[in-house]
Amino acid sequence: MTLDLALFWIPAAVALVATGFVITRKNAAHALIYLVVSLLSVAVIFFVLGAPFAAALEVVIYAGAIVVLFLFVVMMLNLGNTSVMRESRWLRPGMWVGPAILVSILLITMVYVIVGLPDANVTKGEMVGPKAVGNELFRPYLLAVELAGFLLLAALIGAYHLGRRYLEQRREP
Amino acid sequence: MLDWFWLVPALPLAGFFALFVTEGKLPDRIVAAIGAGSIGLAALVALGAGMEFTQSGEASYSQTLWTWMAVGNFTPSITLYLDPLSLVMTGVITGVGFLIHLFATGYMWKDHQEPEGYSRFFAYMNLFVFAMLMLVLGDNLLVLFLGWEGVGLCSYLLIGFYHRDAENGYAARKAFVVTRVGDTLMAIGLFLLFRELATLDIQTALGDAAQLDPGMATAIGLLLLGGAVGKSAQVPLQTWLPDAMAGPTPVSALIHAATMVTAGVYLIARMKGIYDLAPVAQFAVAIVGLVTLLIASFTALTQTDIKRILAYSTMSQIGYMFMALGVGAWSAGIFHLMTHAFFKALLFLASGSVILALHHEQDIFKMGGLWRKLPVPFWSMAIGSGALVALPFITSGFFSKDAILLTAWDHENAGRWFWAGGVLAAFMTALYTTRMMVVAFFGETRTEPHDASRINMWGPLVVLAALSIGGGWMTFSVLDDLLGAISHIPHTHPAALVTVALPLAGILLGWLVFSGRLRVGALVESPFGDAVRRFWQSGWAFDWVYDRVFVRPFLWVARVNKRDVVDLLFRITAAVTRGFHHIGALTQTGRLRWYAANMAIGLIVVVLIVASV
Amino acid sequence: MAIEVPVEHVLLVAAALFLLGLLGVLVRRNIIFLLMSLEVMMNSAGLAFIAAGAKWGAPDGQIMFMLILALAAAEVAVALGLVLQISRRFDTLDVDAASELNG
Repeated sequence: MTLDLALFWIPAAVALVATGFVITRKNAAHALIYLVVSLLSVAVIFFVLGAPFAAALEVVIYAGAIVVLFLFVVMMLNLGNTSVMRESRWLRPGMWVGPAILVSILLITMVYVIVGLPDANVTKGEMVGPKAVGNELFRPYLLAVELAGFLLLAALIGAYHLGRRYLEQRREP
Repeated sequence: MLDWFWLVPALPLAGFFALFVTEGKLPDRIVAAIGAGSIGLAALVALGAGMEFTQSGEASYSQTLWTWMAVGNFTPSITLYLDPLSLVMTGVITGVGFLIHLFATGYMWKDHQEPEGYSRFFAYMNLFVFAMLMLVLGDNLLVLFLGWEGVGLCSYLLIGFYHRDAENGYAARKAFVVTRVGDTLMAIGLFLLFRELATLDIQTALGDAAQLDPGMATAIGLLLLGGAVGKSAQVPLQTWLPDAMAGPTPVSALIHAATMVTAGVYLIARMKGIYDLAPVAQFAVAIVGLVTLLIASFTALTQTDIKRILAYSTMSQIGYMFMALGVGAWSAGIFHLMTHAFFKALLFLASGSVILALHHEQDIFKMGGLWRKLPVPFWSMAIGSGALVALPFITSGFFSKDAILLTAWDHENAGRWFWAGGVLAAFMTALYTTRMMVVAFFGETRTEPHDASRINMWGPLVVLAALSIGGGWMTFSVLDDLLGAISHIPHTHPAALVTVALPLAGILLGWLVFSGRLRVGALVESPFGDAVRRFWQSGWAFDWVYDRVFVRPFLWVARVNKRDVVDLLFRITAAVTRGFHHIGALTQTGRLRWYAANMAIGLIVVVLIVASV
Repeated sequence: MAIEVPVEHVLLVAAALFLLGLLGVLVRRNIIFLLMSLEVMMNSAGLAFIAAGAKWGAPDGQIMFMLILALAAAEVAVALGLVLQISRRFDTLDVDAASELNG
């Protein structure tokens, strides 16, 4: 039991630490690497919890596609040493106080709520494979799949439109 | 020809559209041809149809064109209804209307005040003739009301024809607003009639009128009288007519003398069936006529503007018509309507010729000595004046006025008073007419005339002069059959003799006074005489009273309420809302992280609520 | 391979990740870091769903996670387009620069 829990808590700890680095790094590329680490750790947690398909998607889409997208933008904007210095200017220690208090309060209340849950809430420890997911996804959740498709199409068009270089000039006449 | 009767209103309408859509781009000669020609053709069709109708011996003829609308049981149709009454009106409108249009082609030619307005003028005039024809030919009170409002609109447009002068626009608005008072009363009367009888078809309504409660019949009669009073410029809604003279003279002749102002007479004559049931309302018609008759004839004596003299004269002559209808001389009233249309149109057109020859001088005291220099206008004026004062046996006005006064004498209810008032007014008519003629046409020349009239201007004068004399010989038995016989008092009766003699005395007195042979200067210039003169000249101070009683209080209320007392409630609401908006706007910093922080606080609250449950 | 884990533990980790992301959103001014923090927050929501699914041994949690994934992908695509526009117009990545909607 304790060993099993270690299987869960080790990746969880990695994820928390990596996330902490994500929000404190001054260099965007470094932060992105830590983000990848965090996402991969969460993928491990998924696997441990018996969701191998979700774990695979986490790796492929989050750690793969989305982070790569971030990386492209960071490279396009050419965030070099000047931006690191600017970040240090923006990230004065005093800035942390207010948000930290707020978040602490939230953490305390959440911990209080979660710990107060009824007993015997233990995961089943079964693997729920891609077949079961697919069966469910394309039957009762078909409508949600369609809606997600719409959303992605809209995002595609929106991103295409926003990404054009001379958007502002085209409005002039 | 009767089958083609629909052309009578259709031709003026077509003329209007032709002039309207071309927006004044047509050459003036073509405009004149369309404007006068459409009315002329309509007059010819009306003449042919009228002859065929009288020969057929039928009581009435209807021509249904189409159903206007169908709302449940209410299905008014566009139907032309021809009977002796509407035939007379149609004849006057198209016949006299054509002569006036013809005159106007010359009068408005190269008009120096409004050179661009030639086409516009004839468009409005044609539209007016169409609306007036719909008024008299509609067999349905709804169609009648359509025409009624249509002529009001055209009257407004034409009074304000010289729109560059703000005064004229004011006169047009005054005419529109004052007649609107009457129109509102009339509309209420029509609503009542429809509620009681569930029909607006005139013949059906008159047939069913016997079902009406007497009080209701009186109410309807009085309300319709209100409409007639407004349109026909009778007391107490008469104040617009003198100001309406701001329009071009042919307009005054056609709308404010011959046709539109007699629409009230037509309405009452048309609704005879209602007034037969409501003696009180009919008596009110007579009273209105008598009061107007007297007030207007005294006022006319003191006016100096030739068109205003004629305007007050028109009011008093329409007063005769109202009195005639009120005392039951239905056919005499309509007969007077017809003869009045002839001689008053003649008077207006002749005065128009004079005014044009004097370069738009309208003050009779600046005229003088014109009788040699402007023979055609002078003789036309003379003949028209003769008809107006009812010179015995040779003028049309005599026959119609005589018939009215003698019927009044016979009337069982205060008939002698009506007769006396009518005769007194006839005396005054003679006096002011003689004054106008003597001052304007005799004596020394004060303004040199410049006669530029051509055949299209003096031609109509000659025709109308002939009608003013000969019109009286026309039998009105067609009217007799429909509306009841006129008085048959022989002309040897004392009352008849007085009726004949008083106008002659008036002419004599007028001649003596205004040619300077009888000195009355001391009387006129005495303080009392001067006060009376000024009182009469102001039209018995009606404008002053209305200004004090209606206009000023209204303006006062408007000024007091300028900030809208009632709106205060809503303004407070708006101010409170705006205050909250400003408070709310403070939270809108546009800073994303500020919003995120607020969401976090909100989240804390939500989680605490969830946790505490 | 799957093991039995108390759901409370997983939810605690998810809450901690979520709050770390929130902290990032509140503290960082650079819009790119802000977006990364948002990704973390969404990911933590996905973790909570997976935990709930694992509790019942049902696939619904994973489906919800996939929908969150689609949402995150769409959000990132549009948001990065906006980042490019902001950097072009304001010549900075400071999110506070784009505060024209203030009341």
